[in-house]
Amino acid sequence: MATTFPIRNLDLPVSRHATAATTERTWVRWLLIGTAVVFLGVFLFMPLAVVFSSALAKGISVYFSALREPDALAAIRLTLIAAGIAVPLNLVFGIAAAWAIGKFDFFGKSFLTTLIDLPFSVSPVVSGLIYVLIFGLQGLLGPWLAAHDIKVIFAVPGIVLATTFVTFPFIARELIPLVEAQGNEEEEAALTLGASGWQTFYRVTLPNIKWGLLYGVILCNARAMGEFGAVSVVSGHIRGRTNTMPLHIEILYNEYQFAPAFAVASLLALLALATLFAKTMVEWKSRQHAKELARMGETA
Amino acid sequence: MSIEALNISKRFGQFAALEGVNLEINRGELVALLGPSGSGKTTLLRVIAGLEFPDSGTVRFNGKDISDRTARERQVGFVFQHYALFRHMTVFENIAFGLKVRPRSSRPSREKIRAKVQELLRLIQLETLAQRYPSQLSGGQRQRVALARALAVEPSVLLLDEPFGALDAKVRLELRRWLRQLHDEMHITSVFVTHDQEEALEVADRVVVMNQGRIEQVGAPDEVYNHPASPFVYNFLGNVNLFHGRVDDGKTYIQETATGQVLYVRPHLLEIARLPNGGSHFRARIKQINSAGPLVKVEAIAEWGDSVRVEMPQERFQNLQLVKNEEVFIIPKDVKIFAKREPA
Repeated sequence: MATTFPIRNLDLPVSRHATAATTERTWVRWLLIGTAVVFLGVFLFMPLAVVFSSALAKGISVYFSALREPDALAAIRLTLIAAGIAVPLNLVFGIAAAWAIGKFDFFGKSFLTTLIDLPFSVSPVVSGLIYVLIFGLQGLLGPWLAAHDIKVIFAVPGIVLATTFVTFPFIARELIPLVEAQGNEEEEAALTLGASGWQTFYRVTLPNIKWGLLYGVILCNARAMGEFGAVSVVSGHIRGRTNTMPLHIEILYNEYQFAPAFAVASLLALLALATLFAKTMVEWKSRQHAKELARMGETA
Repeated sequence: MSIEALNISKRFGQFAALEGVNLEINRGELVALLGPSGSGKTTLLRVIAGLEFPDSGTVRFNGKDISDRTARERQVGFVFQHYALFRHMTVFENIAFGLKVRPRSSRPSREKIRAKVQELLRLIQLETLAQRYPSQLSGGQRQRVALARALAVEPSVLLLDEPFGALDAKVRLELRRWLRQLHDEMHITSVFVTHDQEEALEVADRVVVMNQGRIEQVGAPDEVYNHPASPFVYNFLGNVNLFHGRVDDGKTYIQETATGQVLYVRPHLLEIARLPNGGSHFRARIKQINSAGPLVKVEAIAEWGDSVRVEMPQERFQNLQLVKNEEVFIIPKDVKIFAKREPA
């Protein structure tokens, strides 16, 4: 998945007159729209179609047996474990970071903000290598870990660490502007009314950021399950043990097992579609909420 | 509950928001903290509330040192400038919040909370809007909900930060009278912050005039207005004309820079006449006349070239029949002198 920042559509009111004045001629419009459609078709829809058609090329039974195969099941399980640990960790971290950065002024705040973006700016392969250099046998903590019989690299902990690192910024990034925009006043009001810190967080802060939080979780989860580069470096590609779904797909593909490779890939593609759907729903829902309030506000 | 703030100082980086402020507020009083922006009035209010902790100094409630207590423990009612209503809760839920978050042992029953909220909704005359969200209310309605929410926990002190600042003129006037009336009924010790001298003078029992992190004067509205303790207070509480000069034996000498004194005269304490009265007076030429409103505002150019503001009742204006560019005499009826080393 590309490392882009999520940008949400803003529902800006557009006046009809302004549209008319800024509209291009018909052929320019069709040319631009056509270019966009062709581009999307070639780079998005065709690959997606190829994934599913190749997956089913050898029939439905091959498709399902590829998914039922023990190594495939192990890869799916490991992917779920990695995402299942990384997402909650980043959820807690994201809220804590957004809270700290959005609500308080402290020394090193801009440095921390930059640091949160680090996983976005560093190549995933480098992210993986960092962990090898720290936890690997020749690494910083390698000897100590070996002495205590703890395996991090080429084992599940390394995969979880790498996944967590790469998906670090998603939730924090989504929440920081939201929390910043909301300011402190509601929390201060809750405190003067006698609410404890937890009550304030649970009853005031959380409801105000819930849609942004859900949006961040969805994106974070998609990236956690699809991560290839960093995980590839720390995994060691041990079949049935340290392969996640993306790694499993690569191995199958390199062995010319195209139909099974695409069968597992179709699961990831489905995840992507489900993510897009969930993301759209969340956006629609939060926009609907805002609109409703605005509309009722006008009649009040 | 009485409030004492003793020797409070607070800095934000290089900016000194409060410098050794001492203030006593009596039980049941309605006090206004009045000053321009940056004078420290909001900081003082937040220090009293426990939302801000001073660098030094002590806050006492009923003589008891509560400096170390958090906002939560101080149990004050605080109304925020922009109301800070919980936007995802209805009016009802907003008002009930303070009661619902109480620990189980002291939390009223569901019915009691409901009754209390209903009572407050009646008080603020918004019974029909209990299920609305804050975004569906007008500014004045939000303000009243914020007040009800603060009152729900039955605080012994009510603190209001620029309570009418964001409202239009008419609603402002209504709400501040309502607040005064409410205070007269409930007798809860209240402090409100404002930069509007008219608001402070009309609503408060006592006015605390602040400037640059210090208190300039504390007193009843008529006291601070009629006997300002410093040029700043005189200036801040209304329009004023400044003259260099002196007063000797009841006679006012204007335009004598050598004396080093400044005379302050409010526009309504200058009289315009066609003939000199034998006492203190100076010549001036009428430049502008604005007769909209109960007072006619006249701008004149004094004989030495400075602009002078004069205000008079409509009746007097009708009698005089002033016209533009007319030469007149201006007679100061009352002047106030401060030593020049304290420039306003």
